[in-house]
Amino acid sequence: MKKIFLSLGLLFMGGVGVVSAQHIEFEEYTLSNGLHVILHQDKSVPVVTTSVMYHVGAKDEQPDRTGFAHFFEHLLFEGTENIGRGDWFKIVSANGGQNNANTSDDRTYYYETFPSNNLQLSLWMEAERMLHPVINQIGVDTQREVVKEEKRLGVDNRPYGRLFEAVKSNIFKHHPYRWTTIGDMDHIDAATLAEFQAFFKKFYIPNNAVLVVAGDFDKAQAKKWIDEYFASIPKGADIVRKQYTEEPITKQINAKFEDENIQIPMLLNVYRTPSFKERDTYALDLVSDVLSSGKSSRLYRRLVDKEKTALDVSSFIYPQEDYGTYFIYGLPMTGKTMEDMQISIDEEVNRICTELITEDEYQKLLNKVENSVVSQNSSTDGVAHNLATYYLLYKDVNLINKEIDIYRSITREEIRDVAKKYLKPNQRLVLDYVPKNAE
Amino acid sequence: MKKSLYIFLVLLLSVSMQAQVDRSVQPKPGPAPKVNLGKPQSFKLPNGLTVLVVENHKLPQVNFNLYLDNGPTLEGNKKGVDDLASSLLGTGTSKLSKDQFNEKLDYYGASLFFSVHSTGGSTLSRYFPEVLNLIAQGVLDPVFRGDELESERAKLLDGIKVGEKSAQEIAGRVRKALVYGKGNPSGEFLREETINNISLSDIQEYYKTYFVPENAYLVIVGDVKFGDVKKLVTSNFSSWKKAASPKKAYPEPVNLTATEIDFVDVPHAVQSEISVSNVVNLKMTDPDYFAALLANQILGGGGEGRLFLNLREAHGWTYGSYSRLRGDKHTSDFTASASVRNAVTDSAVVEMLGEIKRIRIELPTQADLDLAKAKYVGSFVMNAEKPATIANLATYEKTQSLPATFYQDYIKNINAVTLEQVNAAAKKYFMYDALRIVVVGKAAEVLPSLEALNIPIKYYDKYADATEKPSVKDVDPNVTATSVLEKYIRNIGGLQAIDKVNTVAITYVAKVQGQEMKTVSKQTASGKSSQEVSMMGMVMARTVFDGEKGFMVVQGQKKEMTGDVLEALKSGGIIPETKMLKSGDVKIAGIEKVGDNDAYKIVDGKKTIFYDQATGLKVAEEATVDMEGQQITQRTLFGDYREVGGIKIPFKQTTNMMGMDIEMNVTDAKVNEGVSDADFK
Repeated sequence: MKKIFLSLGLLFMGGVGVVSAQHIEFEEYTLSNGLHVILHQDKSVPVVTTSVMYHVGAKDEQPDRTGFAHFFEHLLFEGTENIGRGDWFKIVSANGGQNNANTSDDRTYYYETFPSNNLQLSLWMEAERMLHPVINQIGVDTQREVVKEEKRLGVDNRPYGRLFEAVKSNIFKHHPYRWTTIGDMDHIDAATLAEFQAFFKKFYIPNNAVLVVAGDFDKAQAKKWIDEYFASIPKGADIVRKQYTEEPITKQINAKFEDENIQIPMLLNVYRTPSFKERDTYALDLVSDVLSSGKSSRLYRRLVDKEKTALDVSSFIYPQEDYGTYFIYGLPMTGKTMEDMQISIDEEVNRICTELITEDEYQKLLNKVENSVVSQNSSTDGVAHNLATYYLLYKDVNLINKEIDIYRSITREEIRDVAKKYLKPNQRLVLDYVPKNAE
Repeated sequence: MKKSLYIFLVLLLSVSMQAQVDRSVQPKPGPAPKVNLGKPQSFKLPNGLTVLVVENHKLPQVNFNLYLDNGPTLEGNKKGVDDLASSLLGTGTSKLSKDQFNEKLDYYGASLFFSVHSTGGSTLSRYFPEVLNLIAQGVLDPVFRGDELESERAKLLDGIKVGEKSAQEIAGRVRKALVYGKGNPSGEFLREETINNISLSDIQEYYKTYFVPENAYLVIVGDVKFGDVKKLVTSNFSSWKKAASPKKAYPEPVNLTATEIDFVDVPHAVQSEISVSNVVNLKMTDPDYFAALLANQILGGGGEGRLFLNLREAHGWTYGSYSRLRGDKHTSDFTASASVRNAVTDSAVVEMLGEIKRIRIELPTQADLDLAKAKYVGSFVMNAEKPATIANLATYEKTQSLPATFYQDYIKNINAVTLEQVNAAAKKYFMYDALRIVVVGKAAEVLPSLEALNIPIKYYDKYADATEKPSVKDVDPNVTATSVLEKYIRNIGGLQAIDKVNTVAITYVAKVQGQEMKTVSKQTASGKSSQEVSMMGMVMARTVFDGEKGFMVVQGQKKEMTGDVLEALKSGGIIPETKMLKSGDVKIAGIEKVGDNDAYKIVDGKKTIFYDQATGLKVAEEATVDMEGQQITQRTLFGDYREVGGIKIPFKQTTNMMGMDIEMNVTDAKVNEGVSDADFK
């Protein structure tokens, strides 16, 4: 009801320009086996997205089995007790849908989007996956090769493909964030069937997951189906997670990495930042906007436009559950050096750490953030992903509507102070990511 | 008793009801959702600009795009003029400087893009009037400035370097150049020369000629009202002068007469990029359009396509293999592709060809066809009501001259396609006997097995120019490290001539960051050497070695030489090969390409030296040095040999430092003069 009122309101006010970002309505509850369910209804198009996010990722791997969580994700498309090997994609397509999955350091996410008449099918499929997937040797052997090709394609044969490897190994010394999600070839080769079965038993349990249904569906019917398919999936043992603490970086780390797929070197300044649950992460996001979002941003205007030392320069925060990383990177123009760029980057970073940004810059930031928050929730599958993430990782699903207010509450002073706190030269990694002379 | 029985029954019933969901039965879809195809509202300005508006008030946002349907344009020896004109758009107007313009646009928080074909973005609806006004000023009243051109040119030149070594990038470029021909707009690609050919007047002319409203569409979707848009657009875009863009003739691409492999050697590749293509003329209005789409869908349309199931799911050779085919009023292509690891390159080619052959020969199964139809229909249903789709479909209808009923009949027409029609379309559009197979990969590992396929192979370089077959040769057993070194010594003048050389003094000049760096290098036959590097008349560094010990002075700081550096100098000399001949540690390690030519690879301790197979001359040297705990291999290339005092000396040395080639050219070389003992103190 409230929703109808809201959209009517939008209709009347459209074009006048009073309305701020939209409000996402949702309903949530937990089944007795611990599976959390979130429903978001949006009948504007006849589409429904079903997704399951499991709280397991590369950071839950053993140091000698890196890449394991992602490898495992591949196995969950191989079939289930009631879905034959190789039939998963066929069933999705035959019913006009699309599906995929992805794995990060923190979580693994599976989703299907169907025309709205196939909600039951997608719930059945995700329940099959959670209850009894078939994990066997033939699947492991096939997907092992597929995953290795994925690594060659996305990392080893791709310009700048090994950048994260170079950064993570330097920024993290104890935390599993120190290895890459795709993992090492040797570890991928070494993974065994028994290990995958144990991994499934430990992490793929309803009490470690969230199910989201978003789009055009009938709520009562959806709840009934969810109950039928998911309620009887047995609850698993609570997962005990090891906490890793990194010592603060107190001395600049200098490193070099060679990539034979590139011709232009890249300079990186990388800083370790706190968990994305911390308010500071939002403030650092704004810092990165001031530095490099848009052509009038400080780093872009100075290095690319004025001094012409950089082909491109940018900064962003890479937020994660336990720690984040803040990146500044630049590609030097021919004839310019890393040093040329570094001098100006240092001055601009120092400036934002010591001086308040202007009122104009501040208003620009708020406009930018508002536009991007609206865009993030513009599709139902985007909303499904955000709801799952905020619930499972941020532990606050209401953030989907509150995020914009957090950004708005950050003052110019706070932006300066947070920059000062985290972007100190002695807390950074300076990485020269350079071409390897193969020819 | 009765009561408890009753309760027991109820319990049983409710428990079994819950357990009774039969998981072995795949749920059937509910009634198909009705598709309500919206039509945008539209109007046309007198200058020809067509405006399409889809009102949608779900989000406080507006998406818009100004699209110019000019068709492909041939840029020829000025390839890049389109890119540069595009990057100069939005860098200021006659009234606003670049900084003012960017400042204003960024202020509204909009995300925007500019090009001569398509300009648009998304903005909060409350700022739409201001943003649209700025965009209109930006594209209709641009000022192209020389300094901006130089800046964008430099960026574009560096930009093409970013992907220079990437096998994927090379494969994409070569495939299009070979399929379409370099004289066709789709086959052209950026080159340093063509980018450098472009002048400011070329940009102005290109903009004037092609940025015209005759075939222009402005599509606006989101939180707007049609009436407001009409007023806004009329006031902002009416000044755009009516004109049509010219149509230039260019050669149409033709298909091969027999299947061939076109091979490009990328020695560092860990995967081969395979594409299998032919030219296609398929319009969206052709009667077999839907049959052709479905044939492609069955072959390689996605994760349930035959290519994917074969190459990935059955064999694990690739992360994915797909094919694509589209309908267009211009000539396009059919392409099946995969990136596979080196060892299975030949097998992957065989399987891809096999799948293409199969879909041409055999009727697909009804299940295959039903699956393909369901995917098309499903994706149409899911997208049809999205505001952006409504706008896109309306644009297609106009630019591809579709009948007004095209999208209303879409599902009906897909469902009407028969097995025979799919087969006929496969035969017509997938040329099994005239396919162009482009393979980009590491010749040393993949070429021998490709040759065994008995398909003619042609060789191309990374710019799609025909070239010789890359040599993947074993060293002839008669060639030894000694014979290579002897040939080198012979070819630079012979031992007798070398014996007469007592000293050399060589001056090199290099450009580093726009400044001149001068290096004076002096050596004696007795093993002494010195080097002095200066910039702008100031000595930056000096190294001196007296045959036993040495030191280095860098910016006034003196440092004794030790370890590896000292050892390297001891083993050096004017012609170190004379010493190497006497050492027992020198080995031959194969044949490798240096530049375009084959060279013998000779390993001497930590040094690796390459001698050209044909000329015998030293063409490259690699030394592994320790820098801050990291082993860095540095390669120096030698060329332009000229005779000085009886021996040949390379007048050009190129060293790659931090990804940048530093080229040192000899400006002065003296033998047996210009060197005194004072040089080594």
